[in-house]
Amino acid sequence: MAELTLRRTRLPRLRLRPGRLGVTIATTVLVLAVAACLFAPLLWPLDQSAVNLARIRLAPSWAHPAGTDDLGRDVAHRTLYGLRVSLLVGAVAALVATVIGGIVGGIAGTLGGRVDRLLMRIVDTVAALPHLLLGIFIVAMLRPSLGAVILSVGLTHWLSTARIVRSELLSLRTRPFIDAAISGGAGRLRVLTRHLLPHVLPKLALATTLMVPHAVWHETALSFLGLGLPPHLASLGNMINDGQGSLLTGAWWASLMPGLVIVIVTLALAAVVARWRDRLDPRVRAELQL
Amino acid sequence: MTTTVCTSTMLAISDLTVRFRLPGAIVHAVTAISLTVAPGELLAVVGESGCGKSVLAHALLGLLPANATVSGTALLHGDGAPVDLLAADEKTMARTVRGRRVGLVPQSPATALTPVRTGRHLLQETLRAHSRARTDAETVAAGVGLAPADLDLYPHELSGGMAQRLATALALAPDPPLLLADEPTSGLDRPLVDATLDLLRARCDDGAAVILITHDLAAAERVADTVAVMYASRIVEHRPALEFFAGPRHPYAHALLDALPDRSFAPIPGHPPMLTDLPAGCAFAPRCPYASIDCGTQPSRDRGVACHHPMGARL
Amino acid sequence: MVRRRLLVAVPVLIATSIGMFLLGAASPIDPAKQYAGAAAFTATSENLDQIRANWGVDDPLPVQYARWVGNLLQGDLGWSTSRHEPVTAVLGARAGWTLLLVSTALAVVLVSSLVLGTLAAYRRGGLFDRGLRAAAYAVEAMPVFWLGLAAIAVFALSLGWLPAGGLTEVTATTTSAADVARHLILPVGVLAVSQAPWFLLFVRDSVAESLRDDHVLAAKARGLPGRTVLFGHALRTALLPFLTLIGTHLPELVGGAVLVETVFSLPGLGAVTVQAALGSDFPLLAAITLVTTAVVLTANLLTDLAYTAADPRVRLDG
Repeated sequence: MAELTLRRTRLPRLRLRPGRLGVTIATTVLVLAVAACLFAPLLWPLDQSAVNLARIRLAPSWAHPAGTDDLGRDVAHRTLYGLRVSLLVGAVAALVATVIGGIVGGIAGTLGGRVDRLLMRIVDTVAALPHLLLGIFIVAMLRPSLGAVILSVGLTHWLSTARIVRSELLSLRTRPFIDAAISGGAGRLRVLTRHLLPHVLPKLALATTLMVPHAVWHETALSFLGLGLPPHLASLGNMINDGQGSLLTGAWWASLMPGLVIVIVTLALAAVVARWRDRLDPRVRAELQL
Repeated sequence: MTTTVCTSTMLAISDLTVRFRLPGAIVHAVTAISLTVAPGELLAVVGESGCGKSVLAHALLGLLPANATVSGTALLHGDGAPVDLLAADEKTMARTVRGRRVGLVPQSPATALTPVRTGRHLLQETLRAHSRARTDAETVAAGVGLAPADLDLYPHELSGGMAQRLATALALAPDPPLLLADEPTSGLDRPLVDATLDLLRARCDDGAAVILITHDLAAAERVADTVAVMYASRIVEHRPALEFFAGPRHPYAHALLDALPDRSFAPIPGHPPMLTDLPAGCAFAPRCPYASIDCGTQPSRDRGVACHHPMGARL
Repeated sequence: MVRRRLLVAVPVLIATSIGMFLLGAASPIDPAKQYAGAAAFTATSENLDQIRANWGVDDPLPVQYARWVGNLLQGDLGWSTSRHEPVTAVLGARAGWTLLLVSTALAVVLVSSLVLGTLAAYRRGGLFDRGLRAAAYAVEAMPVFWLGLAAIAVFALSLGWLPAGGLTEVTATTTSAADVARHLILPVGVLAVSQAPWFLLFVRDSVAESLRDDHVLAAKARGLPGRTVLFGHALRTALLPFLTLIGTHLPELVGGAVLVETVFSLPGLGAVTVQAALGSDFPLLAAITLVTTAVVLTANLLTDLAYTAADPRVRLDG
């Protein structure tokens, strides 16, 4: 495998290097976005079915800063709720992916040997598949629904987490304090919970956070294709999909705002995580390239 | 050892200073260096690794990275008007100076050879670039002791000695009147070191000027006409080789010679200072057995030695 | 190395097929009802049972899997329940367009990222470099389908320069190359732009780093002309990993193609995939996923071969 390792090490890591100001702005944006999502029902209650045929496809104005869609709904208003759904689904799906990856990586890293090789072979297999196609396949077999979308993200995005957890555990196993704990009579479970988990958890948290934009993207893409969330749970992807029809009739604004929100939130998350990631060791950085 | 009568000057470096800007620090790589070298002279610049001597070679070739600032002059004489190597623009350096008038035998030939090219390709390419396409690559290779078959190997297939010879051949191919050899002997065993040094010496005897940058005092003793000792970015002693090896006058030079295995083999106590954090006065003072209160100021150079308490005075 | 790659590729395909088969089997959807389509509502349960027996739906899973794979190996990819025609017919009619879209976009991405990335690396820290990197990061954050809609809004609807979708003019009776090319400009452009940032930033970083490599400085020190140094020494080694990158990035390009085809209503595999997914058409979906995986693995093999040819340090061993 000499030539493979040679090539792996030569792949540079593409990284955003935000300045201090950039990180401050990004953090503010994220905090505002999360707060807006949390308090949306209090600030701006919404009846998702509030259709107003008297104001169909109005261009952006003071009353409707992002215009209205083909059913007369306020786009800015719906975007807020779409972001709420997208972020929530993204976060839960990222968590599912982390759990799957954590379990696989955990088993590979603690048992090692043949099990490790087999599991890593599976990881490589899934990595070679087109994610979106696989995601579509999973959703199709389970019928489009909230659970299917979350499972679709989880089953396609657990690879990097598995690799991180595994390599972390493998390197920890060779450290003296683990030997000391084992020779001190600690059981396998105790070593795992007391000594290994505390080291792995911060990296898992980072991996999960990094996964959120990917999860949001996956969900959005599925929803855009009409294979994602049902209409009553409209996410940003559903909205962009809805806007496609309006676009052809000249109402370009229906898809504009939801897309912009995805771009801004993705960039903000990337910037914040870039700063966080710089404090971790290079091995994890290589794995978490964004 | 050969003694050459030096009548003219090939390169006159005057007050050369190089600084690197790093985030939160400035590296004092080269400070106020003045040196001359004449045709037929072999000047050895000697110092421990990390004293800034490799930066000297890169500065003279205009190959420093973007975060470097350079001041001073380095006048290159020879055919045509003198060129200031530190002030010439990239175009002049690339078209008329590098390779053609100033050659470089690089440090660590293993990484200095393009890995995807054979020796023959590299040699022919260099000959072509200097309108010497008619010169046969194999003839040049033979001059450094490389067999024709060796030229068809890729760099990773060459042994350390062969790679060194190829790198030397590449520097010699355009026949430059000034040759910079940056640690050409590191990582080689003794016979190869001697072979490389003899090549450089022969080059000198043909009338070229050679600056040999090395940490290896024994190598310098074997071939050098003059020796310049560098410590913490400055030249602390610059004298004819015969005199120098007979009795070094700077305490650091003295200690360096004493550290040689065939002398007292006594290591110098302490560590060289960080180039980001140099003292205001003599940088060697913290390790120097003769240091006094005077050493808090920078000594001026007197008869080739920059020291407040040169050794000769006590002898 | 070729053999080792094949040794990896075959298990990957087998594992994928098993995985997909299990998912299909776990699916709550009754293939017999699907096959019957609207007729399922009127069909008697005897009819449905008949279909089930014909298809062997109630056989044990390993038997079903073996039968499916056996058919696949004989070139029988099954019957598409959503399009009511053989899967091979669907693939045959559509795969070409997708391949055209993906390969043209890939070519555009490679050429433009090589040129722009090298320029940015050469003038590192300059205005062009900074602008390009900012743009790359911004584009990387944009979903490709949103980018596609934006392109339609600007270039098709607002400026009227290019068609908004489809492969030929509605009025056209024959497929002319010029017409198709005009219709492909936007989709190819959007797919290329959305995939370019990764490649571009990679080239830029890699070349910028290699311009300070020992062998590049040594080439410069030999007085070689700037162009020779850049093309003969810096790019040659800096871009070797680029080959690997193409291989690892192909799956994402395929995903992008599905979305772009949907946005621009192109008659490629993307649109069929969505249709098949909505109809839970297992045979078609499985075939598309397997074929794509096989294509991606083949492309990986090709990039590895190219790498071996380009770098004398890596030799075919096995």
